[in-house]
Parts: sequence; C-alpha cells; structure tokens
Amino acid sequence: MNGTPSVDSPNDEVLMLAVENGDARKLAVLFDRHHRVLFHFYLRLTGDRDASEDLVQDVFFRMLKYRQTYRPGMDFATWMYRIARNARTDYFRKRSREVALEEGWDAAGDADAAPGRGLEARQEAAMLRRALAKLPEEKREVLVLSRFQNLRYEQIGELLGCDVGAVKVRVYRALRELREIYSQISGRKAS
Amino acid sequence: MKCEQAREQLPDYLADGLDPEERSELEEHFAGCASCREEAAAWTRLGELTAEEPSPALRARFEAMLEAYEEGLGRRAREQRTSGGSAVPGWLRGWWPQRPALQFACSVGFLIVGLGAGHLLTARGAADGQLSQLREEVHNMREMVALSLMQQQSASERLRGVNWSYRVDRPDSEVLAALLRTVKYDPSVDVRLAAADALRQFSQYPAVRQGLVEALGRQKSPLVQIALIDLLVDIRDRRAAGALRQLGADTSLEYVVRERVEQGLEKLGMGEKSWAR
Ligand SMILES: [Zn+2]
Repeated sequence: MNGTPSVDSPNDEVLMLAVENGDARKLAVLFDRHHRVLFHFYLRLTGDRDASEDLVQDVFFRMLKYRQTYRPGMDFATWMYRIARNARTDYFRKRSREVALEEGWDAAGDADAAPGRGLEARQEAAMLRRALAKLPEEKREVLVLSRFQNLRYEQIGELLGCDVGAVKVRVYRALRELREIYSQISGRKAS
Repeated sequence: MKCEQAREQLPDYLADGLDPEERSELEEHFAGCASCREEAAAWTRLGELTAEEPSPALRARFEAMLEAYEEGLGRRAREQRTSGGSAVPGWLRGWWPQRPALQFACSVGFLIVGLGAGHLLTARGAADGQLSQLREEVHNMREMVALSLMQQQSASERLRGVNWSYRVDRPDSEVLAALLRTVKYDPSVDVRLAAADALRQFSQYPAVRQGLVEALGRQKSPLVQIALIDLLVDIRDRRAAGALRQLGADTSLEYVVRERVEQGLEKLGMGEKSWAR
C-alpha cells in the first residue's frame, strides 16, 4: 500500500502528532504518501477529476484545521478517511448538484484504453465501470473502500459506524448487486 | 458446502482471511456453482480496474496552501508583537504558549472544544469575544490560501485561487482587492471571467461595485465584457447605466457586446427610448 513507510521514516501516526504539535511541514510527507490513494478514492466514487483534486486539497486543509482532533493511538488511515468522507458530503451539499456519474466514469475509463490491453478486456472494464457507477452510493463506497483503498473490515466498520460482521454483509450485498448489474449490462443472464 | 455457507465466507475469502482448508473447500464449491464463482470473479475483475493519476498541479497547490499557512502563522506573530499586548484574556495568559505555532494550535483546539462545550466557556465569562476571534483565525487561513494561489505564475493556479474565494464566507478587503485586481489585470481571459463570477457573491460591498464598474471600462475581451455587463445589470448598481452608455459609445465594440449593452439598458429601464429623450 501507498502509506507504508520505509524503515527509516516515521509512520503516519508519528508524523500527524508532529503536525499537531506545530510542525506543519510534516504534513507534506503525509501528502506524498496518501494523496494518490485519496485521489483514486474520490475518482472512483465520483468519476469527476476536478472535484477529486479539489477534495484531496480540502482533506489536507482539514487535517491542519482539525488537527487537534487527532489523538495519540488513533489509526491514521481511519481518521483520514473520516475527514475525506465529511469533505465529500460538504462538497456535494455545497454544489447541490447531481454529478453526472456515468459520463464521468466513461471518461475515467480512458486508463483502460492503454495499448497492450485487448479490446475485449477494455470493453469488460468499461462495462464494469458502468456497473459500479449504477450501484447506489453506499454500496459503491463500501466496495471502493474494501477493494481499492485496501482498508481492513475493522477500519471500514469504524468509519461507517458498524461492526465487522455488518461490514462483511455490506461488502457481500454490494458485490452481489454489482454482479447483477454487470450481467444486465453485458447481456448475460444473472443466475 | 451450500451456497449460503459460501456466501458467508466470501468476504473473508476476498480479504484473504480464510485458512487454507476453508479456502480450498470454498474453491471446491466455486467449481460446481457458477453463481458464487461469478461473485468472486467480479471482485477479481474489480481489482483490475486501473485509475488515472492526479495532475502534477495537485502537489503545487498543496505546497501553496502549506506555505500560506506557515506564512500566516508568522504574520499572526508579528501582529501580536506590534499590537503591544495580546488578545488573550487574563485567565488564559498564564499558560498561553509563546510560540506562534502553538498559539495557533491552541486557538484551533479551543475552537473545536469551544464548539462542543461553549456553555462551559460562557460560564467563565470570556467566551463570546474569544470564540469569535478564534473563528476569525480559521477563516483567515482560507483567505490566505486564496490569496497565495491568485499570485501564482500559472493561469490554472490563479483560477484555483479565484475558486478558493468561494470558500471564504466574509472576505477581508485583501481578498476583495485581489479578486478585483484579477478581474482587471489578469492576462488570462478564463481567470478574469472566473473572478467576475466570484465577485458576484460579494456584490453587496461598495468597493466591489466600484471595482466592477472600473473593470468594465478597461476590459477588451468580449466574453468578459458580457459577463461584467450582466453582473452590473443584475446587481442594479446606480453607476451601471452610465458605465454601459460609455461602453456603448466605443465604436470598435463587437456587435454581440453592443447588443448586450442595449439589452442591459432596457433591463435597467434606461432603454434607447427612455434615455434618448
Ligand atoms: Zn454457490
């Protein structure tokens, strides 16, 4: 994962405590470690590049602003994603507009157009993106968190305010619904 | 193994949380059950989706924010020195940190604690003034980011700066001045347009109205001219009609802009019929 520190560099928790104690520069290290992962989180949820970049910026701004809410012993990733989810809620409340997810996702599919990938694989990827975009937001989020952001079920549970068992049920249901939508799009019968 | 059991184990299987025995049992079930197999396959395919990378500008914007923040800390320290005393009430002064960074940390901390426990502070009698001052500091941080971005070399960064100004609820004169400078002098049409749009939300400020009138007078881009005309007409500034007529007197004016001027004057009740008399 992106956030894994090398041997000689302090872990995220240590860095965040330093930021909290007035060493704002340390936030740059945290930015280097996490901004891509956060960008992908937002991009996969919204399909909107500009919004995703703004939101990443806002997350790090909020880390400075609310740094006193970080406590020793807290899991940094969980804290970061909590801020990230709040930032997204505020952002889209402020805009109060529906994001055209599907178009966004089609555009975000350009990465699959890389040469070397077969046409069929690219089409499959595009269909999967569309299926993901059609998924209700909570379900899409739980899949993104567990599949792409590499969060453990315990971390997701803490984030969503439910226990690990409930997270597993959510992951399963989301995956099942994704497969059903995917089958419809691809014209295969869902069994 | 039944499907029901398989489904229960699937999330752990996906997260590599099963021991080898459970794992092979489940995979055995997959071999004979297309439905469960496809669910696992959907997970695998999902993992193969690639994602685009953020633009390099993201890092630059972050730097600008961090610099603005650090600079803001320094400025606050200077202000505190020149103002002689500090705004810290007596009951706090004993343990209020001397280092500006810590002072700010305390302020933000108080803000957050204060929002949750405002009644407690009120009981101490000093809350209201103190809290509003602290809110002010957080608010200034956003302004600093907007200001610092508006001074960048690249047009896209300045555009971001203009857009940041939307996050400022009550801008100080410095931010308004920067926006007005931008709408008047920025070399990029996009940035000038964005600044005109951003100033709409601050049109209740007399300085903004005055600045918009001036900006229209020196504007050469038809796009920005039209945006400014619309804005001045919408806010019904008393100088709008004069500014529009002056613009209309320019013989080199583009046709679309001239049309907009006339429409604007109509809307202001100063159409040709009424003001030609
Ligand atoms: Zn089955």
